[in-house]
Amino acid sequence: MRIRTAGVVALFALALAASGCGGDSDEPAAKDTPKAAGGKMVIWADDKRTAALKPFAEKFGQENGVTVEVQAVSKDLQTNFVTASQQGSGPDVVVGAHDWIGNLVQNGAIDPVQLAADQKSAFNATAVKAVTFNGQLYGVPYAQENLALIRNTELAPEAPKTIEDLVAKGKQLTASKKVTETLCLQVGQNGDAYHIYPLYSSAGGYLFGTGANGDYDPKDLGVGKPESIEAFKKIGALGEKGAGVLKRSIADTNSIATFTGKKCAYLVSGPWAVADVKKAGISYDISAIPGFAGGREAQPFVGVQAFYVAAKGTNKALAQEFVANYTTTPELAVALYNAEPRPPALTAALDQVKGADADLAKFQEAGRNGQVLPAIPAMAAIWDPFGKAEAAVIGGADPTSTITAAGKTISGQIK
Amino acid sequence: MTSLNLNQAGRRRGRWFAQVGWRHLVAVLAVLFSLFPIVFVVSAALNPLGTLSTTELVPTGGVSLDNVGGLFERTAFGRWFLNSLLIAGLAAFASVFLSALAAYAFSRMRFRGRRVGLLSLLLVQMFPQFLAIVAIYLIFGTITDLWPSIGFNTPWGLLLLYLGGALGVNTWLMKGFFDTLPRELDESATMDGASHAQVFFRIMLPLVAPILAVAGLLAFIGTINEFLMANVFLTSSDSKTLAVGMYGLLEGNERNNNFGIFAAGTLLTAIPTVLVFQFLQRYIVSGLTSGAVKG
Amino acid sequence: MSTPLSGPGSATQAPGREPAGSPPPRSRATRDHAPITLTGLAGKVLLLGLTAGVAVWAAFPLVAAEMWVGLALLVASTAGLFYLYLTRRHVPAKYLVPGTLFLIAFQVIPVLYTASTAFTNFGDGHRGSKDDAIVAIESSSVTQVPGSAEYALTIATTGDPATGALVFLVTDPGTGAVSVGDSDGLRRLDSADVTVATGGRVTAAAGYTVLNIGQASSRSKEITDLVVPTPGGALRSSGLSRAYEGKAVRAYDAACDCVRDAETGRTWTADDEAGAFVAADGERLAQGWKVNAGLTNFTRVLTDKNVSGPFLSTLIWNFAFAIGSTGGTFLLGMLIAVALHSARMRGTNLYRVLLVLPYAMPSFAMLLAWRDMFNADFGLINNLFGLDVDWFGQAWTARFAVILVQLWLGYPYMFLVATGALQAIPRELTEATSVDGASPWQSFRAVTLPLLLVALSPLLISSFAFNFNNFNAIYLTTDGAPFPADNPTNGATDLLITYTYRLAFGGQGAQLGFAAGISVFIFAIVAVVSAVGFRRTRKQEEVYA
Repeated sequence: MRIRTAGVVALFALALAASGCGGDSDEPAAKDTPKAAGGKMVIWADDKRTAALKPFAEKFGQENGVTVEVQAVSKDLQTNFVTASQQGSGPDVVVGAHDWIGNLVQNGAIDPVQLAADQKSAFNATAVKAVTFNGQLYGVPYAQENLALIRNTELAPEAPKTIEDLVAKGKQLTASKKVTETLCLQVGQNGDAYHIYPLYSSAGGYLFGTGANGDYDPKDLGVGKPESIEAFKKIGALGEKGAGVLKRSIADTNSIATFTGKKCAYLVSGPWAVADVKKAGISYDISAIPGFAGGREAQPFVGVQAFYVAAKGTNKALAQEFVANYTTTPELAVALYNAEPRPPALTAALDQVKGADADLAKFQEAGRNGQVLPAIPAMAAIWDPFGKAEAAVIGGADPTSTITAAGKTISGQIK
Repeated sequence: MTSLNLNQAGRRRGRWFAQVGWRHLVAVLAVLFSLFPIVFVVSAALNPLGTLSTTELVPTGGVSLDNVGGLFERTAFGRWFLNSLLIAGLAAFASVFLSALAAYAFSRMRFRGRRVGLLSLLLVQMFPQFLAIVAIYLIFGTITDLWPSIGFNTPWGLLLLYLGGALGVNTWLMKGFFDTLPRELDESATMDGASHAQVFFRIMLPLVAPILAVAGLLAFIGTINEFLMANVFLTSSDSKTLAVGMYGLLEGNERNNNFGIFAAGTLLTAIPTVLVFQFLQRYIVSGLTSGAVKG
Repeated sequence: MSTPLSGPGSATQAPGREPAGSPPPRSRATRDHAPITLTGLAGKVLLLGLTAGVAVWAAFPLVAAEMWVGLALLVASTAGLFYLYLTRRHVPAKYLVPGTLFLIAFQVIPVLYTASTAFTNFGDGHRGSKDDAIVAIESSSVTQVPGSAEYALTIATTGDPATGALVFLVTDPGTGAVSVGDSDGLRRLDSADVTVATGGRVTAAAGYTVLNIGQASSRSKEITDLVVPTPGGALRSSGLSRAYEGKAVRAYDAACDCVRDAETGRTWTADDEAGAFVAADGERLAQGWKVNAGLTNFTRVLTDKNVSGPFLSTLIWNFAFAIGSTGGTFLLGMLIAVALHSARMRGTNLYRVLLVLPYAMPSFAMLLAWRDMFNADFGLINNLFGLDVDWFGQAWTARFAVILVQLWLGYPYMFLVATGALQAIPRELTEATSVDGASPWQSFRAVTLPLLLVALSPLLISSFAFNFNNFNAIYLTTDGAPFPADNPTNGATDLLITYTYRLAFGGQGAQLGFAAGISVFIFAIVAVVSAVGFRRTRKQEEVYA
């Protein structure tokens, strides 16, 4: 028994020595790799943009003798970025929509970007306004997008002037069995605040009032106010129990497809829809989303995609160099456009690609009177209750009580 | 005469139905139920326009393999596939082993804290995972600093994380099966002088082979489908798994456009699982146990 | 942190290696008399050696980082493992420890950490420490001094590029004059000593080594920290090629524990209970910090009408959903398994493969597909069966739909497990009853079902626990719909977990502490239910004991 135990110990001591040595020799190799390169910069983006960005980021790395890695976070990029940053395992640069800024700033996750006056003026003013928060510029915009009305010109040759025009023409088409739906505007089971907003604004509703300096004021909430109830009465009249123009069964997954399948003549969507429409061989035109007759203009939200410098990145100097001095060049903007056709925010880049792509100018024209998507953290409280109220009203619920309840829920969530 | 024959035939058919026929009926109905949504996905995968609502149960716009081609052309699908196989294979293997060990102890030994241990094993799984992400970042941030080879963006780190959950459901599953094995089996072996390790490896494991195979398959499927943690863990595109990569196809506005490709990917993802299942079927369906009891 | 017993390492003895069709093991066991066999010994030495190797490998970085606590933990757990596997005592622990180590490191610790955040205000705007918040406030208030110039910047050093003290070489765009700046301030350089490229950047300067971007980027932190004082503010770098004269408008003043704005004179005083800087009129700075909140998260669950109001009805539906999903999948899975469990059946292999398909498809993809199939106007289900049902628009149809989807997703699992269980039931038992003249149904009730339940009841409990918190099943299909028109926070198909998620993440930023608080509540409920259910299994467990 003793001998056996001794044998165990001896054998195992040998094994320990062997594996210990193995561990030793592994060690230096593992430690050397990160030191070998000059500096390293990590960029996080969503999948689509990662693919577009990769070649240019790598080129930047090669030119400057640094390692640049572009990584895709498929879901919850914003929250993962905030969490990872906080723990010190985040990236140096992140790419995302401008309405993240409020939340990123309150978590101390991004730093302001200092652009020279001439760099700033090279951008379209709306885009610069979008990435400005509390008077500071927090990101470098590269693309801008907004909703517009895309119509099948074979079915509807004329751009409608008002919603009423659109409904009349659409009804005529459904009556003659040319289409089955009047309008493809995605609503979905739980509503879609982004897509309904143009109609809401045209009918007189607003989300937040603006303060003296032009910033949105979270204390002045428009949802639940009489104007918003009036607006939803008009929207409800277009709903399932009314004109049947807006339907919950038209959702994010099928609205573009219904249009490309020629089941509706009008589609409310953005630049991302064009590729599909072209592929389906539909002759189309793009115009501004019409408002209600006698109402205000329908204002789509204008969203901007931007580069941000992480406040807790390990290589902030390089990140600033990349964001402030490299992403501001028209070459990059054009290249990003070629990878994914959204209107560039740099005026020079837009001018360069506008000639070859007539849709860009049309989208931009449709968004001319658009409203910059609020970036204040309070906006996060709007989406869900507002969308659900929209879905309920379109489904036939009473606008007054529904919108009042939604307003209460939202104001309860805003600090 | 003829009526008698008919009667007999009818009775025979009745008996056939009572013994075998109803089984086929149930199986066919179940297969229909199983396949009907899948046919929807297949038709989307074959539809060149490949969006959700252009999709009907039977593809209308012609059949093409464009989506499969697009999948390999536009994404690192092959790479994702290999990563998933590696991680899911290893995780399934290791987790079956770890939980079989634990299940053996829970089933055959009596010790203090046994039932409490079992219950805690279950309860610890109940905490919402999306909240634990913060803690995971904390732990693996440290690990990445110290041992980059098992940190973020490595399959090994993710594997470690998955092994943390290995005991959870699988131990419960296996303990139930260990409980059905007669105790006399291992008691007599012990009396013959076998050690507890020998009882475990030589007697118990072969006897529960069907359930090891089932547990292995379940662990494999669970890992290949796991998304939440893998999404946090694997950001560099070479290290992604199928679930993460495929979800990326559906993000945001892309959901509409990519559905065809996504559907193709979904179908291809099912292939390794089906192959693993085919491989494991002989362990699941074999007359092992009866032999053992006879002996 | 110690994870010395690696899974793959132990896989050498994994179950698959045992030939499945091996002869009855008993005879073999009798022959192998010796308590320690050669294979056993070799395996033990190999695994312990591997453990030691991993421990040694893991120790080096800990030593290098001078993390002595971590090292002590590593040494202690390695020593513990050695003791455990070399002693003949503590047999149960030998089997439990490998899995438990992983469980503690990657499940228990995260859960405890998360639960501990329930006592804080942890969430967006309150994630870090007070110091973090101050840094964030100060650095986000740095603005360019109005009317000041933009300088072309070159990073240089007086010594070695990797270690020497850094200086900024800046070129004034107006005059073209070059100055050198460090933390003492700016000094003009003689233009004869410097070479300036077009665009204004200095490419060489006498007495200084110019760093290229690669060299500079590896000293990023020093560059961003280098602030060159100027009369109007300070020169800071913006990247590696430009510098600007900027001023932090807001600064923390430790004397009054407040943040002061130099331009407006406004102050925000630290409120250590709320974890925020608050002005006299109640305005808060966005950047706050994490503070202890005591029990407020828990009291809020009870007192907040939005939370506690629909709690009971949600809880009831939650139970119904979990029981319906578990029970439904179990019955369906068992029925099919029993149907296929017959020696006279042909084509069972094919059936099995087809039946397992729903489980083999990625579940989130299929949940999305099902959601579209239930679409009222365009969905496959209404189209195929000629129905006109607004599935997700009415409470009961929506509930039916989500359970149906769960049934589809989950029954292959139960089918597989039941198949495994049926295979494990000795055929003699069922044959014996049929010889006794019992009908198939009677023999099923008397023999097969009880044995199936012994094998499956632990699983039913864990499956119930899983479905109780089945986030994706709801989030990816109805997302709680339909919602009452006057209450957008709690829908008819909401489970407690999706409801929690909406409360915690739906508002102005994520409220992680609050979410953890509700989770602890739910956890307590499930724990009680499971414990009660678990007590009932004691009887069954002892069938053979």
